[in-house]
Amino acid sequence: MSAVLKEKVKKVSTYCYQCVNGPDLLTVEVVDGVATRVEPNFDLRGEHPADGKVCVKPFGLVQKLYNPHRIKRPMKRTNPKKGRHEDPGWVEISWDEALDICAAKMNAARQKGVQDENGNPRLAFTTGGAATPFKYMGSFPALLFAWGPFDQSLGAGGTVKCYHTEHMFGELWHRAFTILPDTPRCEYLISFGNNIDASGGVTGVRRHADARKRGMKRIQFEPHLSVTGANATEWIPIKTKTDSAVLFSMLHVLLHETALDKLDVAFLRERTASPYLVGPNGFYLRDPKSKAPLLWDKRTQQAVAYNTPGTEPAIVGTFFVEAAIEIGADEECWAHEKIEAATGLEKARQLIAECTPEWAAEIADVPAATIRRITNEYLAHAHIGETETINGREIPFRPVCTVLGKSVNNGWGGYECVWAHTMLQVLVGALEVSGGMLGSTTHLAGDTDWDRLSTVEAGEDGFMRHTFTPTSKAEWNKAPINRHANDALTPMSGTSMGQQLFGSTTLAWLRLQERAAASWPKPNPPDIWFVYKCNPAISFSELDKMNDVMATFPFIAAFAYTFDETNHYADVIMPEATDLESDQLLRIGGGHYFENHWESEGWALRQAVVPPQHEAKDFSWIANELARRTGLLEAYNAVINGGACGIPLQGEGYDYALDLTQEHSQEEVWDAVCKAASHDLSGGKEVHDLQWFRDNGFKTRPYSRLNWYLHPLMEDNNLRYELPYQERYFRMGQELAKRLHETDVHWWDRQLAEYTPLPRWHDLNKLWDELIEKNHKVRAADYPFWLLTGRSMQYAWGANVGIQMMKEVADNVFGHDGIIVNTGKAREMGISDGDVIEVTSPVASTRGIARLRQGVRPDVLIMLAQFGQWKTPYAKDLQRTGLNALVPMNQDYIDGGGASIDGTKVYITKAEAA
Amino acid sequence: MNSFGNELQTSWDWRAAGNFMFGGAGAALVLMAAAASYPNSPHWLVGLSSLALIGLGLLLVWLEIGRPWRALHVFFHPQTSWMTREGSVGTVLFPLALMGIFMKIPALIALAGLLGLAYLYCQGRILKATRGIPAWREPGIVPLIIATGLCEGTGLLILMLAALKQQQQWLLFILPAFIAFRAASWLTYKTKLAASKAPPKTLAILDGIHPLTLWGGNVVPFVLLIAASLLPGATSLLAGIAAALAVLSGWWMKFTIVARAAQVQGYAVGKLQKGRPNIKPPVRRQKDKFVFDREYKRLAQD
Amino acid sequence: MTRYVMIADLNRCVGCQTCTAACKHTNATAPGVQWRKVLDVEWGEYPDVERLFMPVGCQHCADPPCMHVCPSTATGQREDGIVTIDYELCIGCSYCTVACPYQARYKVDKAEFAYGETPMESEAKLFDEKRLGVAQKCTFCADRVDAGVEQGLTPGLDAAATPACVNACIADALSFGDIEDENSNVSELLAENTWFQMHAELGTEPGFYYLWDQEVAAEVAANE
Ligand SMILES: Nc1nc2c(c(=O)[nH]1)N[C@H]1C(S)=C(S)[C@@H](COP(=O)(O)OP(=O)(O)OC[C@H]3O[C@@H](n4cnc5c(=O)[nH]c(N)nc54)[C@H](O)[C@@H]3O)O[C@H]1N2
Ligand SMILES: Nc1nc2c(c(=O)[nH]1)N[C@H]1C(S)=C(S)[C@@H](COP(=O)(O)OP(=O)(O)OC[C@H]3O[C@@H](n4cnc5c(=O)[nH]c(N)nc54)[C@H](O)[C@@H]3O)O[C@H]1N2
Ligand code: SF4
Ligand code: SF4
Ligand code: SF4
Ligand code: SF4
Ligand code: SF4
Ligand SMILES: [Mo]
Repeated sequence: MSAVLKEKVKKVSTYCYQCVNGPDLLTVEVVDGVATRVEPNFDLRGEHPADGKVCVKPFGLVQKLYNPHRIKRPMKRTNPKKGRHEDPGWVEISWDEALDICAAKMNAARQKGVQDENGNPRLAFTTGGAATPFKYMGSFPALLFAWGPFDQSLGAGGTVKCYHTEHMFGELWHRAFTILPDTPRCEYLISFGNNIDASGGVTGVRRHADARKRGMKRIQFEPHLSVTGANATEWIPIKTKTDSAVLFSMLHVLLHETALDKLDVAFLRERTASPYLVGPNGFYLRDPKSKAPLLWDKRTQQAVAYNTPGTEPAIVGTFFVEAAIEIGADEECWAHEKIEAATGLEKARQLIAECTPEWAAEIADVPAATIRRITNEYLAHAHIGETETINGREIPFRPVCTVLGKSVNNGWGGYECVWAHTMLQVLVGALEVSGGMLGSTTHLAGDTDWDRLSTVEAGEDGFMRHTFTPTSKAEWNKAPINRHANDALTPMSGTSMGQQLFGSTTLAWLRLQERAAASWPKPNPPDIWFVYKCNPAISFSELDKMNDVMATFPFIAAFAYTFDETNHYADVIMPEATDLESDQLLRIGGGHYFENHWESEGWALRQAVVPPQHEAKDFSWIANELARRTGLLEAYNAVINGGACGIPLQGEGYDYALDLTQEHSQEEVWDAVCKAASHDLSGGKEVHDLQWFRDNGFKTRPYSRLNWYLHPLMEDNNLRYELPYQERYFRMGQELAKRLHETDVHWWDRQLAEYTPLPRWHDLNKLWDELIEKNHKVRAADYPFWLLTGRSMQYAWGANVGIQMMKEVADNVFGHDGIIVNTGKAREMGISDGDVIEVTSPVASTRGIARLRQGVRPDVLIMLAQFGQWKTPYAKDLQRTGLNALVPMNQDYIDGGGASIDGTKVYITKAEAA
Repeated sequence: MNSFGNELQTSWDWRAAGNFMFGGAGAALVLMAAAASYPNSPHWLVGLSSLALIGLGLLLVWLEIGRPWRALHVFFHPQTSWMTREGSVGTVLFPLALMGIFMKIPALIALAGLLGLAYLYCQGRILKATRGIPAWREPGIVPLIIATGLCEGTGLLILMLAALKQQQQWLLFILPAFIAFRAASWLTYKTKLAASKAPPKTLAILDGIHPLTLWGGNVVPFVLLIAASLLPGATSLLAGIAAALAVLSGWWMKFTIVARAAQVQGYAVGKLQKGRPNIKPPVRRQKDKFVFDREYKRLAQD
Repeated sequence: MTRYVMIADLNRCVGCQTCTAACKHTNATAPGVQWRKVLDVEWGEYPDVERLFMPVGCQHCADPPCMHVCPSTATGQREDGIVTIDYELCIGCSYCTVACPYQARYKVDKAEFAYGETPMESEAKLFDEKRLGVAQKCTFCADRVDAGVEQGLTPGLDAAATPACVNACIADALSFGDIEDENSNVSELLAENTWFQMHAELGTEPGFYYLWDQEVAAEVAANE
């Protein structure tokens, strides 16, 4: 130790983006050119929400760097037969050869045309980790965009198994790709399976620890006592997949058991569509001339256009309207005279009229009294009427929030849950205001994920502008481009650059297996599939079938760190420079995914703290090489100039653009990006080059907390949140149904049925039983357990399961080495801790060690994190079970938005005693 | 407040147990042999085997330590370490005992005997000082270790003298006394332990060996010895069996306590308190007359 | 005078093990050796269950049994209460290990590395042969503390003078400081919160305090 200190030691600043909560900055100690230790970056104390600390995962990066199992140089397969049990027969090759092989395939594809006979892109690219790998890909995205249409529909489980429903509706309603509480001010937080203390990263954990210390109450509805439940004020072991019942009954308490004036009436009246009157066909009643939605003006006792000045809108009730029109799907128009119409909020009230706490108690196994108590505590803590002044701007102060975990978000029931929990905010005015529920960032509403405010502008009917993929007869895309047809089937996935990620990647894989979209041709696999930092062979569902399909792909080029279950099927493997070996400039601060909201913003550099190991190459270098070899250099440079590396190289008062015709080294590229970024950040006052960022790590400027909230903008533009009633969504669904039926597509009807203006409550447990009986010819009663998963702070999906130290420290947290089973239930079945049990779902079975615990429902099993590796070095020797092999993939299990569930019904049997 | 994580300690295995089994028996054998032969030397075979037993115990320990070539450092802390004290007593004991065996100096013989007893006592205190192992730190361990040592030593002596045809009758009367002492110590030890916060596993294991220890290891040999004194014809046979039982049961009991019932203290949450704690200074502050100064230490290891 | 102690706030700790990892980095401990680790405990019976994360490690006792039993005087104690091990005096008898009521001590007899026999570059760089066959445990990062104090920094307040696990803790659950200073960060934390010491009844006077919520403690007691 002291011996070491004598030697030359330097500390290098870089960032970690191993999980969605990044980026977080760290420093790496380098002793005579060897990276030895990870430490916080305290230069960010006071700016970064966790004072410059990093979570446990980056501490694994040193082992990741020197891991002997790394792919050391490019390789190609010599055994043309692909299969799980085939040896690819890897032989090492030079980078030249590897790149030439890829370039040749790409050029050949271009010759034939970038799209195949079905119109699907011949080139597909898949990455995982909820798109965090983009933060490691240097200038490679520029190559993809220079290429033209490329398919991203072959997902790895991200988004469709994440917060898919929140992604889509959250962005529509309040630019919330995901939502977060205003934790530093929140007083009362209700979580339905949101496992923030494991999944919220360093900033989430810190903000919540501070909030608890401050006295914030956290109520955790969850089938098992998660890491997060451990520190909750109250753990409520809710029955799996019944959250919507509890949420609906909470709305019932507020709308049927509470006096209206106890709610935030002003907010409902001014900032929401509560007053908009709904016509007999389910669309807004509109002014015959202006076509503006109508509301009931209490003062003049008549229906007037919503934007009429000086009105006093009624938010609940049914009113007698003299004359109005209704506009339905495909501009269909109805003229009405003398009709009764209820307000949007009245419709919502009617929707949940029967949903009493007593009703929910039966379904969810949560006492009615508890639901009432919690709802009233929530209301009490909302401080309706209070305000806070930030930089001279007065905004409402509503320190209450409800959050959903991804397992509540994905698959059937997501719509109910996301709508209901957002409505709970709306009723007390706790949306996008101090202390309440905030949106994190945008990916669908716009491409400026660092600045969601810039996407807020006036659209139709007094709402925010939000574009869907068109469903009108004229514009609907009958020839979908991507294999999951997001551009035809899931209009909510929108038109942003990231739109493909929000289509039904589940459907793409099912189609390749000829198990879905019966009336459409089976798509060809892509001519070229680039995979990077994702492992669909482990992380998606019904894995055997996934593996079989991958084996049929003609050419897979994998950027690889170690062997894994997906690159096992690759034709060429290329080791890119990893976390501590490569360069990239990235935006920090402002607002990010989850709880990474700062009061400053700026840029940070990820840099090679040591030269790349072996023959690993920086992604930007790889991109340059492929651009040249495919003759795309000019386009590639143009895309970089256009902003593909994070910021346009030409902008107000600056021009660091690259010469289009020349090839530029990765240093030149990032040097230009550094200058453009620092110029933009400082308004030209401080322009810094790559070397400056290497030495200093990051550059920030203040970012007003006012920017955390949409409220000021909504007020200034006099906009309304598109809640409670979903007219546009309803219309879109009807149009989509027409389009599909016109082309004889009927296999999407189950999904189309979800496009209702208000979510209908479904008994999901009943639904699942029906569906598995229908699809797998089994007796649902034989599958008494829900098999669920849960995040682990120590693991980033399956990305770091090959790191010894992560395994060592993760094992201090209960259950990583087995399957968590309720102690009482296990004893009843003669299973003791350590016994090997067999877990069987309708599609597969697996074995693992039973870990007995009281903190889990007797009808639930938990498999933490993402295991089941059979190829990834080190991880495969741990013999740990993952649930994905057991989770069925089936079109019936895809919800209206295209997402699918990440759990399954199972039964267990004892295999061997400990 | 229930404690958790009290698994079996793995730092001291059968080798350490061996030191308590053989070293303890050997030390007591030194004492009893001396007593039995005083003022004369004990038979050299008896004398040497007693030392051999102690030596075997120490050898086993030496095999267990991580830095055997620094073994001499064991002598650095006589002020508080019962391991240093055991080592020191052992070091004096060997030469004295050898002299006692080969040159008939009554004083040395007596002294050696007393050192044997001291050695035995050290062993008891070594265990008592391990605050991390409830089964060892129980104060009742000290009389138990001494009692069983005496039983083992006396038992061995009886067997050897029988082999050497030099049996001494009084040994057949003192052994039952020692056995009674051991039985009593065992019972109090177990009751006290059960009353303390000993891990359930520890208690279960000790309960497991209880019947055989009590009946087979104590009551039966006791009865046999009484019988031995009543049936002159069968004396040596019965006494022999009794002695053997006394020795083996003692070893088995010590092996169990050291190697199997040594569950650690475990972790626990404590009693909640409010306000500033009244803090005690680190003991090292009271200018510790005991610690050798640094220089000495450095010298000591080179 | 100065006595350094550590505080773990159980209401904050989420069991993330960042401290565990930070210690492994800072002190280059062998695989399986965790001078700092965080337990994951459960009480009660479904559905009345409490789950708790509890950082453990050497408590730097004011009256340390490990020191009293140590035959070689390798285990020592500084005036500031930090309990030390002199790797060159230690004979590796593990007496201290069994004497310690807090399972704080480890011994590694032969060199082992993350991926087997051969060390990775990073491991080779930090490998210290002195550690083999001797007792080892948390040092309270005495080297960091001393280096910091030399520069006039305050342990517990200035990162450069503060133990690595405390610096790394992402929930700010760990604190370090001088308990003999009435106004130090740690003195104030203890004055303001309810707390306990582990196995206080053993008279070891641990230099490690746990902040814990009264209500939670009550529930745990109830669920026993
Ligand atoms: N069991 C289970 N499965 C799940 C989930 C769950 O909760 N439980 N969650 C689902 C969700 S929400 C998501 S977002 C997805 C995420 O799942 P994926 O998107 O598939 O991401 P990972 O599983 O992290 O895949 C990472 C892969 O990249 C490799 N890798 C790691 N580091 C590097 C590197 O530096 N370079 C290269 N080239 N490769 C690297 C690893 O070997 C690993 O195979 O998982 C889904 N699947
Ligand atoms: N450390 C770490 N952090 C991560 C990630 C990671 O891999 N590692 N991944 C990131 C990504 S991509 C995502 S999507 C997020 C996901 O993070 P979260 O959604 O916060 O948490 P998970 O633990 O993945 O969700 C599973 C939890 O939902 C509960 N659950 C399952 N079914 C139900 C139900 O029907 N009702 C209720 N109420 N609860 C239920 C389970 O008990 C479990 O606790 O985490 C992100 N953060
Ligand atoms: S939360 Fe942890 S893993 Fe995720 S980006 Fe931050 S430091 Fe990295
Ligand atoms: S915790 Fe154990 S090792 Fe640390 S000082 Fe106390 S007794 Fe010694
Ligand atoms: S192992 Fe070392 S430190 Fe522990 S008691 Fe033995 S000599 Fe002392
Ligand atoms: S104080 Fe230092 S040595 Fe002790 S646990 Fe923390 S980091 Fe490790
Ligand atoms: S780093 Fe802090 S929060 Fe995480 S386990 Fe350690 S003490 Fe607990
Ligand atoms: Mo995700």
